[in-house]
Amino acid sequence: MIYLDHAATTPLSPEVRAAIEPFLGESFGNPSSRHPLGVEAARAIERAREQIAFALGALDPERIYFTAGGTEANNLGVLGAARTRKRKGRHLLLGPTEHPSVRAAVQALESSGFEKEMLALRPGGALDLERAKQSLRNDTVLVAQMAVNNEFGSRYPIEELSELVRRNAPNAHLHVDAVQAIGKIPLSLLELNPDSLALSGHKLHGLKGAGALVLREEVRLTPLVFGGGQEGDVRPGTENVVGIVALGAAVESAVRVVEGTHGRLGDLRKKLAAELSALPGCELLAPDGGGPGGLSPAIAAVRMPGPPAEVWMHHLEQLGVYTSVGSACQSRTKRVSPGLSALGLDERSGRQVLRFSFSTTTSADEIRGAGAALFRVAGELRVRVS
Amino acid sequence: MSTTETREVLLARYGELWLKGKNRGNFERRLARNVRRALKTVAPGCTVEREHGMLVVRPAQRAREATQRLQEVFGLSSISPARKTMREFEAIAETSLEAMRAALARYPDDAPIPFRVETRRSDKRFHLTSVQLDRQIGECVMAEFGPRLSVNLSKPELVLGINVRAEQVYVFAERIPGAGGLPVGSVGRVVSLFSGGIDSPVASWMAMKRGLEVIFSSFHSYPYVGASFLRKAEKLVRRLTRFQNSALFCATPLTRIQEAIRDGAPKGYRTVLYRRAMQRIATRIAEDEGAGGLVTGECVGQVASQTLENMRCIQDVSDLPVLRPLVAFDKSETIALAKKIGTFELSIEPEPDCCTVFQPQHPILRARIDLCDEVESRLSMEELLAEAYERTERIPIAGLG
Repeated sequence: MIYLDHAATTPLSPEVRAAIEPFLGESFGNPSSRHPLGVEAARAIERAREQIAFALGALDPERIYFTAGGTEANNLGVLGAARTRKRKGRHLLLGPTEHPSVRAAVQALESSGFEKEMLALRPGGALDLERAKQSLRNDTVLVAQMAVNNEFGSRYPIEELSELVRRNAPNAHLHVDAVQAIGKIPLSLLELNPDSLALSGHKLHGLKGAGALVLREEVRLTPLVFGGGQEGDVRPGTENVVGIVALGAAVESAVRVVEGTHGRLGDLRKKLAAELSALPGCELLAPDGGGPGGLSPAIAAVRMPGPPAEVWMHHLEQLGVYTSVGSACQSRTKRVSPGLSALGLDERSGRQVLRFSFSTTTSADEIRGAGAALFRVAGELRVRVS
Repeated sequence: MSTTETREVLLARYGELWLKGKNRGNFERRLARNVRRALKTVAPGCTVEREHGMLVVRPAQRAREATQRLQEVFGLSSISPARKTMREFEAIAETSLEAMRAALARYPDDAPIPFRVETRRSDKRFHLTSVQLDRQIGECVMAEFGPRLSVNLSKPELVLGINVRAEQVYVFAERIPGAGGLPVGSVGRVVSLFSGGIDSPVASWMAMKRGLEVIFSSFHSYPYVGASFLRKAEKLVRRLTRFQNSALFCATPLTRIQEAIRDGAPKGYRTVLYRRAMQRIATRIAEDEGAGGLVTGECVGQVASQTLENMRCIQDVSDLPVLRPLVAFDKSETIALAKKIGTFELSIEPEPDCCTVFQPQHPILRARIDLCDEVESRLSMEELLAEAYERTERIPIAGLG
């Protein structure tokens, strides 16, 4: 199997698997229990908190709040911040290509009296910072912008956006969805300077069902769930010990090697582009990321010739090559996404976009294998090759 | 007096079976078996017995849920939660008051409810006639609940039923309509050509309703469409097992056949030729499974290509009767029924239909059989069919009961 759909999910790494092993067996305690079994679980969670805090740049571990995944972290960041600040204003700024878990949360706020404005992309895919600056207001209470585009890997200039927000919208909370960024591109939390940042374990060779929201100091959030005081009452509920231990180990090992990963992924992306160049009609979208922010080399979106990308995808999977059509979370909707639209694609050509996404486990051999499979499928689908 | 658990039963009546003469025992046994299966998860431990033209269900628990579940069993005309009592007037009167008290709690008390008593004696040796019992129990009930009721023999809203039997008496104040039809499996088996759209689930349901056990046959064009297409069809089959308890789901890859047709047949003939292939494979499945017919969701004139000529051309490849329960339905009627049986929401789930890469823009309206035969022999259709049939996945779907 050649798995090139790492933006959807990743396999559990042996390292993470070893870390969680005890917690699937004898170490089953409830972290809130005061006997040794509970203390052991509580300690494991604190350790995961520290692993993440240090991996992201020596933050206060107490600012990491564990959630049931990226969706909940995004929900908590968006809803929690806006509701806390509702007396300061009702204006929300939403990134143009946000994940549904951010978009839907903003939509929920709209129905309770908030006003939404969209940030825009410039033709080519870069975030339009000029317009962003004009949109920021004194009563803007939330700006939500993802760090890396999950469709074609464009890296958004969070550092600059953050500067603009601080200067032009003093009451705004900046929420950054970093689910596709952590462990794929080197990030400095100090430079990004978000108020909250969401991450997810299973995109980093951890487990599904565990994520975290990292909060800037002094930032307060209105919780979404209420209960017994766990996670400082920002996110109560008995902790998902196994998932959290996995998340800690996964973030630590991903970020530890991210510089190397970034370079290696870049090579893989170039290699894929080279393989594709032999297939006429293929077009690598946003080859350089589409803007000054550069790109995440973990994602490569390709417009395929001939039939819809879904047909390519199913033919490739028969040869053991796994890819995806757009973002897995959006593949059920039919309209072209704002991101692809900014790249000049319409509804029809949008359906021709096949996404390859890589991880630390992806090898050059696998890219070669995928190239060969693409050629074979082109033959089966009677797409003319040179 | 015994405890309430043992006294509360469900009377499940069957209507049409009376008509079936010699077959009746067979029908009754089948119905009792279907009822038992339907209740195995909802009300485990219940017993089902045949008693004088009805089934008596004694659920150990959850009588309400059991009643609801029985509404999905074909062959039952009505269901009544009833109380069992002794063959003595005092006991019948007391039980009648209990049943009425419970029934009245479900009605508003702003106006008197038209009411009557309806006695049936399966055992005529009881010392009172039906008419006497009607009158005397009616008097007891009116004495207790007078202001809330008004006797109305011709148009009652609330009927207190009393069923006098050789061993005991059943009293009930509710008659819940059953699903009607005939017990699934009592008439035979059919293979349904099942697309997962709106029509084929409804057509399959109608076949079940008439006592046919349905085997589901679906076709897919993997890898031109994803495996999720089959999951959708499977979900629908699972939904329909509420009416049939368990089902066989057959998934056949049509891809090679479609490719061959794409490459070697006149464009306009594609749809008709696909359907002929499907019908042939469904017929083979029918032979394997001892099914005596096919069911389709076809409807005359629904799409331009559903012409009599095309239907004839498709039907020509099978010697089994092809049942088309929806043939004269308007789309809106089919949709209403799909909503009622709970398949509509599943059917309209969008599934990427990449098969459009093969679909002709203008399908032929009057296909010719001789031309189909000629094209198929040129394409060595027999071999392709044998291969597709060979690669058919047979997935047993167990209903939860």
